[in-house]
Amino acid sequence: MSNYILKYSRDERVKYISHLDFVRLFHRTVRRTSLQFMFSQGFNPHPIMTVAQPLSVGVTADGEYMKVGFDGEYTENEIMSTLNENLPLGYKIIAVKQIFAKEIDLTKIDRAVYTVEAETNDSPDIDAFMANKELIVPKKTKSGVKDSDIRPHIFGLSQLDKNSESMVLKMTVSAGNDYNLKPETVIDAIKKYECADIGFIKIHRNALLEGDKDFL
Amino acid sequence: MITQRDKILSAVEKPTRYTGGELNSVIKDPSKVDVRFGFCFPDTYEIAMSHLGLKILYHVLNKREDTFCERVFAPWTDMQQQLKIHGMKLFALETGDEITHFDMLGFTLQYELSYSNIVRMLKDADIPVRAADRDETYPVICGGGPCAYNAEPVAEIFDFFQLGEGEDMMNEAVDEYVKWKKSGKKNKRDYLEAIAKYDGIYVPSFYDVTYNADGTVNEIKPNNENAKPKIIKRIMADFDSAYTPNSIVVPFGDVVHDRVMLEIMRGCMRGCRFCQAGYIYRPLRERKSETLLGLADDLLSCSGYDEISLSSLSSSDYSELAPLTGGLLDMTEKKKIGLSLPSLRIDNFSIELMNRVQAVRKSGITFAPEAGTQRLRDVINKNITEENVLKSTSMLFKGGWTNVKLYFMIGLPTETDDDIRGIAGLSQKVLDEYFKIPKEERAKNINVTVSTSSFVPKPFTAFQWEKQDSRDMIIKKQDFLKSEIKSRRIKYNWHDNRTSYLEGVFARGDRRLCEVIIKAVEKGCQFDSWADHFKFDTWLEAFSECGIDPDFYNMRVRAYDEVLPWDHIDIGVTKEFLMRENEKAKAAKTTPHCREKCSGCGVAAFKAGVCCE
Repeated sequence: MSNYILKYSRDERVKYISHLDFVRLFHRTVRRTSLQFMFSQGFNPHPIMTVAQPLSVGVTADGEYMKVGFDGEYTENEIMSTLNENLPLGYKIIAVKQIFAKEIDLTKIDRAVYTVEAETNDSPDIDAFMANKELIVPKKTKSGVKDSDIRPHIFGLSQLDKNSESMVLKMTVSAGNDYNLKPETVIDAIKKYECADIGFIKIHRNALLEGDKDFL
Repeated sequence: MITQRDKILSAVEKPTRYTGGELNSVIKDPSKVDVRFGFCFPDTYEIAMSHLGLKILYHVLNKREDTFCERVFAPWTDMQQQLKIHGMKLFALETGDEITHFDMLGFTLQYELSYSNIVRMLKDADIPVRAADRDETYPVICGGGPCAYNAEPVAEIFDFFQLGEGEDMMNEAVDEYVKWKKSGKKNKRDYLEAIAKYDGIYVPSFYDVTYNADGTVNEIKPNNENAKPKIIKRIMADFDSAYTPNSIVVPFGDVVHDRVMLEIMRGCMRGCRFCQAGYIYRPLRERKSETLLGLADDLLSCSGYDEISLSSLSSSDYSELAPLTGGLLDMTEKKKIGLSLPSLRIDNFSIELMNRVQAVRKSGITFAPEAGTQRLRDVINKNITEENVLKSTSMLFKGGWTNVKLYFMIGLPTETDDDIRGIAGLSQKVLDEYFKIPKEERAKNINVTVSTSSFVPKPFTAFQWEKQDSRDMIIKKQDFLKSEIKSRRIKYNWHDNRTSYLEGVFARGDRRLCEVIIKAVEKGCQFDSWADHFKFDTWLEAFSECGIDPDFYNMRVRAYDEVLPWDHIDIGVTKEFLMRENEKAKAAKTTPHCREKCSGCGVAAFKAGVCCE
């Protein structure tokens, strides 16, 4: 068995595909190629594949990660071109790296960068918002909705664009298993602390990082 | 950029129903084709994308350079609401374009309870519902599928119907459309006259129907010299070489039949007297196993599916079953692909096969004895005996299976309390078979599920003249069966008597029902086969507002000499044969299957399949 880290993007055309549907789609894609998946042992063998941070429905992305086990040795280029020829339009593999141990450990992902476009006629003051010592908003956790201080989990927030109907924000926030901050929750906090009326939001994930460094 | 599309798709429960872009879906430049065709399935994406006919005809049409066929499905209520909010019309999946001025729309009529959705979809597309109200700027609308054989209740909606298998007929209809369009599309009548000369094409507006004082049909008479007095169905006589696509659209989301379907046969040789499919798809025709293995390989490699299923009305009758399943298993075991084998009779061969197929997991097995006593099984010509069922289930239990489903119908002609009691009795005996096996040799947790549907007499069957049981009677029988089932290990499921009732009305309905369907939709009916959406009382109101008594259609016995609303349609099986079968049913006499002895149903005139063996 050989393990590979795959970095991929998804655009507007396929952004409504759920995580589970993507996993199935990827299984089918591999079946259409000459690549052989490594299968798990047990009663119901399934292909060995782990998606690092499942994307929410409706979110596009530039640099997502997954780890895949193939039965056989393939070159990184071979994997990239084979998959790209067979993936539905809208998904694209942008980098492949074979790993031999844990030199790339996707469980270490702890930050994500998002670009969020939000409909609003208001002009929330982002610098004032970031100057808050704490930002307490209801946040979904495993045990239900609880108030949480999200300020320590926002590493950067800036306004890229603003017009009378909308604004575009870029944010770097906590991601991963320890504390995952969704951009929606940041928007909730802006609504609350800046008394902003914000309507529809559209989310794009630019990167998944460990600290400030990318994996591939 | 936030778009209207973003807002709409974010507001619906399953957005991938509407986005298109699936693997192997076809994209063309609409400006470079003559015909924009919308293949319409009047139900949700998940049901529509499970339908084999759609998969075939989508590719038949898109193979043509002059035609772009897109898929159009019934939007779920959340999407309907979005369309309304945003002032949009029903759109096709491939381009997202509104279908309002497409060239042609083709609806598949799979079940009667989808009629309301047809009307709903036309309204969502802002297309006049009745054919007579559509001028040349609107699409020509055709229908096909099993319900097209008696599509009289929706006849006023459609410009024409295709009776039988569409692979060739569809091309003829489109060829003529291209000619008509190039000649300036002056008068829709010209086009309809041009296609009326083809076998299988039925233009309802070319026939006048008159009625007797008692409400029965007096006469169905052509009013156009191009219209044939009788329209004969079409079949692909050489099924082995008939076109079948070697590509398949792979949905993103979960659909009902999410696998490769390998159509091994068409038609059935069994002759069950209640079964419309058994008559309308005659004669039985097979594809060679060699052809099928090649096809299976193509479909699996182009789709990446991990499951393949045989598709036919009775797979055990397929004469090359052993080489086919052997070849498929060689293919699937290597690639860890699941093989499902529906409608297989249980014997040593199939048990061995199933053991190979599901080395570990034992899924449920379904039997359809259909009736509780041998007498009633003889009446319906269902050739399965109690001994068959018990022997098979015993073999299954020994093999480690513990999930058995038994399907029955209630309300069959001549049914008595004994027959109902027989359902409970047979189910108990199946359970007893399990307990006869020593504890060490059987798997734990036995599960016997009994399901009853309510018999609905269908056109073109031996029972097309019969009365359907009233709703009260069905409820009484269901309650009686409940009281007769004693073991807690037997679970009983039954069908809603109201949907069966309505199905019965439309199955044998005539043109006067069209008004009722349109009215019911105006009053909010749609998705009638979805329990949450079915509004029976609203349907009854619609009937009463139109002054139509639904009981007229299913609560009476028809005489053999009554003109039936579908008498101008010819499925190849003669009315005389169906009468003979009806008489034999009354005498509980069985009819042998086609390979045992030809019973002279009339379909041999097609000179195809089992008739020529």
